[in-house]
Amino acid sequence: MQREHPIDELIRREKETEPNPFLVTRVMAKIEGAKKMRSSAPLWQSLTLAAGIAAVAFLGVSIGNSYVENGTTAIALNINDRQIENLGYYNFGDDEQGQ
Amino acid sequence: MSDEQLIKEITAGNDAAFRTLMEKYQRQLFRTVMGFVHTKEDAEDITQEVFIRVYQSLHTFQGESEFSTWLYRITVNMSLNFLRSNRKKRLLQSLEALFTLRSEEKNPLEELESAERDRRIRQAIDSLPERQRMAFILSRYEELPQKKIAAVMNRSEGAVEQLLQRAKENLQKKLSPTIGK
Repeated sequence: MQREHPIDELIRREKETEPNPFLVTRVMAKIEGAKKMRSSAPLWQSLTLAAGIAAVAFLGVSIGNSYVENGTTAIALNINDRQIENLGYYNFGDDEQGQ
Repeated sequence: MSDEQLIKEITAGNDAAFRTLMEKYQRQLFRTVMGFVHTKEDAEDITQEVFIRVYQSLHTFQGESEFSTWLYRITVNMSLNFLRSNRKKRLLQSLEALFTLRSEEKNPLEELESAERDRRIRQAIDSLPERQRMAFILSRYEELPQKKIAAVMNRSEGAVEQLLQRAKENLQKKLSPTIGK
């Protein structure tokens, strides 16, 4: 029996390799996916982006409006307690106390 | 259903027709790609990309050549592009294959020798000039007649015959010291 030439043998083996049986299904899924992306993504993307920008602007304006400048005069008056305790009392010298 | 009918159906939006077209041609295209890349995984990836490209550009097919000719042209071009951009990866793969092949019929030494011989043959095929390699693969892996190869390669039948002859001589030259005629 004649022996097969190594080149012919390699080519025969490589030719016998079968592709994945799901190759066609995989291609169809990719094509479907690309179609969906093309038809729905731009509208959704632009709508989401517009809604996001509007929400951020609205939030910024609301926070800005909610800020009211509160005066702190009442607290300042309480801190200034000179009228409660007479500090002048401690200014007397020893000689003055004895008299 | 003929190719022309299938193409009409596909361009009208019938995706089931494209599935039929793929089922008809997937083995042929896969075999051709195998001739260029020699690994199942890469061949599957490229075949997949070829079909996606065909789907996207089917409207540009004018019908001036046979559909299968147009299909083979895309396949050959995409395989060559893949090879150009994956040289390093392929070198690693061929070395890796030497150590991962297992066969129950051969002992480890025979296995290693056989893997090394395969590697040399693949290397010899891959080192052929591009046109010779295209003609060789379409002729030996796909068993296309010279007329069809000439149409795919946009050459005359005589030129293809010459390319095949030179490819054979080059392979003999490269492999004769180790493998024999």
